Amino acid sequence: MTRVLVTHADEPIGRRVVKCLFHDPRIDSIFAVGDGPTPRAFDRFLAAGEGPTVTYARVDLAKHRAASDLFHSARFRAAEIDTVVHLPRHGSGSQVQAPLVGGLSERTAEMRLVVQHCLEAGGVRHLVALGSAYVYKLHPGNANRLTEDSELDLDPGVAPEVRTWIDADMIAHGEVHNDRLRVVLLRAPTVVAAGGYAYMNPALPVRWPRVRALGFDPICALISDKDVARAVQAAVHARRSGIYNVAGRESVPLSVLARWTRRAAPPLPHPVLGWAAAGARLLGSRRALPYGGGALRYGFTLDTRRAERDLGFRAGDRIGLARAGDGSLQLETASST
Amino acid sequence: MNESIHPAMAAVQEAPEIDGEFRLDRDPFLETAGEGNPLARRLDELERRAPRWRRLGSRTVSPARPEPLRPPISRPRRTTPPLSEVELPERRDLWDRLLPERARRALTSIAHLVEGEGPYDRFGFSAEATRLALPWFHALYRYYFRVESRGHENLPEAGPAVLAANHAGLLPFDAAMSAVDVLMHTDPPRLVRTIVDRWAGELPFVNVFYARVGQVVGTRENFADLLEDGQLVLVFPEGVDGVRKTVTQRYRLQSFRVGFIEQALRARAPIVPTAVVGSDDQAPILFDVKPIARALGLPVAPVTPTFPWLGPLGLLPYPVRYRIVYGEPLHFHERFGPEGAEDARLVGYLARQVRRAVQQLIDRNRK
Repeated sequence: MTRVLVTHADEPIGRRVVKCLFHDPRIDSIFAVGDGPTPRAFDRFLAAGEGPTVTYARVDLAKHRAASDLFHSARFRAAEIDTVVHLPRHGSGSQVQAPLVGGLSERTAEMRLVVQHCLEAGGVRHLVALGSAYVYKLHPGNANRLTEDSELDLDPGVAPEVRTWIDADMIAHGEVHNDRLRVVLLRAPTVVAAGGYAYMNPALPVRWPRVRALGFDPICALISDKDVARAVQAAVHARRSGIYNVAGRESVPLSVLARWTRRAAPPLPHPVLGWAAAGARLLGSRRALPYGGGALRYGFTLDTRRAERDLGFRAGDRIGLARAGDGSLQLETASST
Repeated sequence: MNESIHPAMAAVQEAPEIDGEFRLDRDPFLETAGEGNPLARRLDELERRAPRWRRLGSRTVSPARPEPLRPPISRPRRTTPPLSEVELPERRDLWDRLLPERARRALTSIAHLVEGEGPYDRFGFSAEATRLALPWFHALYRYYFRVESRGHENLPEAGPAVLAANHAGLLPFDAAMSAVDVLMHTDPPRLVRTIVDRWAGELPFVNVFYARVGQVVGTRENFADLLEDGQLVLVFPEGVDGVRKTVTQRYRLQSFRVGFIEQALRARAPIVPTAVVGSDDQAPILFDVKPIARALGLPVAPVTPTFPWLGPLGLLPYPVRYRIVYGEPLHFHERFGPEGAEDARLVGYLARQVRRAVQQLIDRNRK
């Protein structure tokens, strides 16, 4: 039986992962942590008499003391956690704007602390981390279907949002061959959820105005939040180390994705966006504009065969528009079986 | 020897090692500090009160099992249904009225190439965008370039294949006419995926249009991917050298790149030599002003009878008659196998064979 700690469980993907693990008979207990109060969706898990025991705690994992207190707490030790599922912050979009933690972005600091404490904690044998596929270098000549071995975007001019993903990715990547801890790093493209939500796409920032590069409409690979949860579940039980691309079958242009998520993304000439981002950097603004790199111009999809072979994961959801009760068309995800 | 070592370090060296770690209950520093040391007593006490969660024996996870050699997962190929099995949709708008029934059936058929629920394939191809573009190109095909074609029996009905054609003309109407011709003369209809130069991926609007009508930026991975999907890939092995040809070099093929031979061998795909007669006359280049091309980062800075004198309008092709001929497929993979792709001399030789076959087709069909 597996005992799992899930970070950022209060965010949309985290809630989905907890739900998926709750219905997994191989899971003994779930220790969920998050920034916010207990999500209402957890009420039935917390009160459930059957299934795994679910515990929720409010912890800011970007703070060293808070993370340390969590991993050294009697509660954590009593839970005998053997698997940690680290989901990055994705729903609030505050990772770039928030003050840096120890010179690192929140996302990077969290990943560093989680990896460090997983290595130090005696019982933790397995770490599953969710990363972004936007860490890959995107340029006019990039392959359409990127593999796990494709080049990462280490360009210093890359958008700050992407930079945080790359830093977090490389921290987890550095421990993949550690024989003291099995690390599975899942790289997911744009995550979409029913109702018209899209996460983890740097070209569709949560708080900044959305724009597109004029004359470009890159193809975006998609995966549903339910498939992400299934991929995490597969990684929890696979007992492997490695980096795996996970993606659904659908891919749509950025303009269509913006329309599906009901937020306009007017096109602007790309040089203007580049100048604005460079000007913000020159002015020393930490609130650097999230526009840069190739995500606004060059698309990609993912080669998921390694995940299919090693983790046994294959996306099962269809993603598309469906007519809602009020007659409007809404983004929906549905199982294809 | 030990006399020169600090006692604490000596204790470390003698301490028992379990799975690469020293046991906490044999802390060498505590032992050398002595029983009477108050600090040691305090540390002892703290150690006793400390939670035992760190003492879980070996910290090494089970070693990775040796991976058995497994064949790579092959992706299912998407195919198009024959025209007779396609249910013809009702005419929706003016675009549908402009197209003959066969073209509409073909469009419906190639929509099956899109995987999943979305209206786009992973390269950005959209059957709907192609439906809007096809009437224009079909009109050009039929009335402007008055395309004649033959040798369609040499186009494979299914499976991967490479069309290797000559390339000319400032704007790639040779690719467009070939794509329309293949779509209109194959059953089940086949969508031609043309490999375009990388710099086309940087051109605003052009890159979007190319992607929507099924063209793909030329990388080795994309080429291999298309062939693995069982698609019909059109390449111009001359590359931009074909576009740069001046009027004195018309219909004389430039040297061929060899990448398409490697990919065809690896994917066990036949190569169909294809001659496009007419494209060399659509915009005859009198001079190529190379310094200007270099300065502007363009592949060519042409001077034609109409460009730059008429501005952008001067780039439009002349209404020349096109003749497209498909030669007999060359099954190099049957003789040399996928491992032949590793032999640079063989690959170069095969590329010259394809070039000769295309040149012969051009010479035979020019008159």
